[in-house]
Amino acid sequence: MIQKAIIFDASTIITFSMNGLLDELRKLKEVFNGKFLITEDVRREIVDKPMKIKRFKLEAIGISQLINDKVLEMPASVNVNEDLISKKTKEFKDVANNMFEAKGNFLNIIDSGETSCLALSRILDDKGIKNIIAVDERTMRMLGEKPENLEDLFRRKLHTPVTLKKENFKIFEGFKFIRSSELVYVAYKKKIFKLKNGVLDALLYAVKSKGCAISGDEIREIIRMDRKG
Amino acid sequence: MKEREHVLKLFKETRNALEKSDVLKLKELSNQTIHASSIDQDSDNIAVAVILYSLSKIIGRKDYQKQKNWKEFYKIEIGLIDKIIRALGKSNDAEARRDLTLMRKAIGKLSGKLKLYIQDVFRRAQINKASRIYEHGISMEKTASLLGVTMFELAEYAGQTGISDVPLAKTGGVKKRINLAMEMFK
Repeated sequence: MIQKAIIFDASTIITFSMNGLLDELRKLKEVFNGKFLITEDVRREIVDKPMKIKRFKLEAIGISQLINDKVLEMPASVNVNEDLISKKTKEFKDVANNMFEAKGNFLNIIDSGETSCLALSRILDDKGIKNIIAVDERTMRMLGEKPENLEDLFRRKLHTPVTLKKENFKIFEGFKFIRSSELVYVAYKKKIFKLKNGVLDALLYAVKSKGCAISGDEIREIIRMDRKG
Repeated sequence: MKEREHVLKLFKETRNALEKSDVLKLKELSNQTIHASSIDQDSDNIAVAVILYSLSKIIGRKDYQKQKNWKEFYKIEIGLIDKIIRALGKSNDAEARRDLTLMRKAIGKLSGKLKLYIQDVFRRAQINKASRIYEHGISMEKTASLLGVTMFELAEYAGQTGISDVPLAKTGGVKKRINLAMEMFK
């Protein structure tokens, strides 16, 4: 019986792939007593789409191999039906995309791959499977952890009043998020990386440079934490 | 076309800026469409943002102007801008939209290095504008889909910007998140 799972958004797999860290992801899976899951919508973003583009075909092949080797698995591996994910994905997407209003338009803030991770997380909760979502892009994390920050960001960036349906915040409560930065930290602590001197610092800036939404301040805090032991 | 009056004004100013080779003005005009693009996600507005930004980059490269097809390309683009201004002035959105598409397709008529250069400028402009919309708070996947770029391209570009350093993006304690990850691997 599977007790725990990490649900990967496309953004996190992309960070690992673009940094040449897919082997390390494989090794992380070996020390994880649970499942690494991706949804069908996420698979499309990280395999099907890049497979058609020469520049990213190698990344797509590498990720596809992880799926073939069952490092990354589909929800069916934990007996979760695709139809149920699709239904719940639509529910989350509809709420998220009808939450913030500017100039008479509801802002379409989030897409199917991202919301499918939320849907799968809720389904796993219902099945009693402990889970977290690994997401490197920031909007979904902000929506789940501090939607008021997202509202503030829209106000500042769009230079226009933004109204929001606060009652919709509730549906996004309770999700747990990590990023590739926390995963490389775990890999570093578990001595998955052969390189030694300054490798944590290098890894954290590497994932940041390929899209992981972590600030320089947060990286410095992680380094300080590690030095203190 | 949403915000037709605004787009018409943009193209009139673009015409003037092109005549003066005013790169900064062109860049500023392209940025004016980003707020609207983030809000209404209208494909016309997004196309305008990409085209204006591309023009600012193309005009800024004096070496492109030495290429053999340059005059032909410039003439086509100016001609299409004039047609868009006329079409929008008559509220003929369909015609304006067609000419907007032709501005990009004009590259196909070029040959040699200039064609490759300009194709590359347009692709980079798409990624740049995607990054700006992501910066405005729209998710990475949604933005990539709107601009027709891959998440790989957007992630790579966004990673080189200060987007993740915005204080509002910090939504939880570092230690707590690290502990959460470590706990999962116990």
